[in-house]
Amino acid sequence: MELTWALMIVIYLFTAGLSAGAMITSNLAFLYGGKDFERVSRWGAYISPFPISFGLAVLLLDLGSPFNFYRLFLTLEVRSPMSYGSWAILLFTGLSIIYLYLWLPEKYQVIGHFKNSEQWKKWLSKFMPFLSVGVASYTGLLLNAAVSPLWKATLLPVLFLVSALSTGVASVILLSTISPWQRARHKELHVLTKVDAGLIILECLIILIMISMGRLSSMSESYAFGSLLYGQYAWIFWFLIVGLGLTIPLLLELMELKDKIPVKWALPVTISSSFLVLLGGFFVRYVITYAGQTSGWF
Amino acid sequence: MAVRMGFVIITSRCIDCDACMVACRSENDVPLRHTRNWVKSSGVQGQFPKVREVFRPGNCMHCDHPPCVSVCPTGASQKRADGIVIIENSKCIGCKYCIVACPYDARFANPETGKADKCTLCLHRLVQGLKPACVQTCLGKSRQAGDLNDPESIVSKLIAKYPTRVLLEQVGTGPNIYYIDEAVPEIPEGK
Ligand code: SF4
Ligand code: SF4
Repeated sequence: MELTWALMIVIYLFTAGLSAGAMITSNLAFLYGGKDFERVSRWGAYISPFPISFGLAVLLLDLGSPFNFYRLFLTLEVRSPMSYGSWAILLFTGLSIIYLYLWLPEKYQVIGHFKNSEQWKKWLSKFMPFLSVGVASYTGLLLNAAVSPLWKATLLPVLFLVSALSTGVASVILLSTISPWQRARHKELHVLTKVDAGLIILECLIILIMISMGRLSSMSESYAFGSLLYGQYAWIFWFLIVGLGLTIPLLLELMELKDKIPVKWALPVTISSSFLVLLGGFFVRYVITYAGQTSGWF
Repeated sequence: MAVRMGFVIITSRCIDCDACMVACRSENDVPLRHTRNWVKSSGVQGQFPKVREVFRPGNCMHCDHPPCVSVCPTGASQKRADGIVIIENSKCIGCKYCIVACPYDARFANPETGKADKCTLCLHRLVQGLKPACVQTCLGKSRQAGDLNDPESIVSKLIAKYPTRVLLEQVGTGPNIYYIDEAVPEIPEGK
């Protein structure tokens, strides 16, 4: 069966969350960590504009009338998440590019150097978390509004938000570990890993509550969630999300936090656990987008 | 009272000839492999030798609270004052949001125009004083359309006389196709 919203939309939902998560990671590290967490803030700032720009490009390709897309920005339809979400994402992308620029080493700030760039960074770091939370939860609201039995779940925006934060943190861990330049210090990684482990636990809880609520609702909703638990999406849900995306990275991170990983394994373990978190985050969007369309009301 | 356009469909009179689908396709140039209206079968019901099969024609329900309209980011999908839900093609970007939001699967992405597409209640015929093509053509007179708020319309008279049901009431869309399953020996005169 051909789906109306397929992989392109999954990529869009995933990348928007990833960018928002990386942005928040960077902002908070800058505000509360200062110099000690400089590498985290820097990598978050470097990552943030790219996934979402890619997602937007992909979304554009998915439109039936791509040359008409400017119509999105001739109006604000307050009842349409896609309308206010597009405005929010436009603003987010613009500001994230400015934020990235402020974090570039001075010699790369080719179009001029802001006099009080530290001050600017601070302002943006205070504002962007709000916008990022908006962007990340918007991806859930987007599905909420299209009343399919699975997408109706009230916790969907919260799930997408937490998953966005988790993938954002993971992307910062991943890049700041493999990069030879501005590599994250042990202390930074330790805190990030702790945060990510907490987010994964939270995500598991939300998934559990969301599925239980769904199973206890109407027949249609219960059936829709059933397609994740034992239906056609079961293997993606159990193997790729619960197994590879949540349980294994959580165990690896807990072992890292307890210093149970031998030094020579530390690097590959950090890399693989953060990669798995990203993988899991992608398939969360995938499963919800697809299963929401293959299950209808009855 | 304001005009409120909608359909009454009498399942007991439908013989699954699919003439409505053919009529709609030629009237509205609907591309192959897509359709604005349909006839669904209940499948075989009951135990041999007492078996029956019921056919249920359908199309866009021109809902009172259409999710397709509220999700549309550009204002292309609209509900007119007379209740008809339309798509203003020049505004549509083809994001397909309305298509996933319709619980009745009444919309599709038109590959020729790149826009969302669906039943218009044959608006272009209504303004000429004609009935929608599917209603006009229906062999069993199973399909009826008109103003649900006008007591003199065929649809209102049918609704007054026979028990009706709507589809997926629990979703809260307020659909405007009223189904009658009972035998209707005669279609009342009316507008
Ligand atoms: S049936 Fe679907 S397309 Fe038609 S008005 Fe209702 S929600 Fe919109
Ligand atoms: S496909 Fe067109 S009519 Fe449908 S929601 Fe998008 S812009 Fe609106």
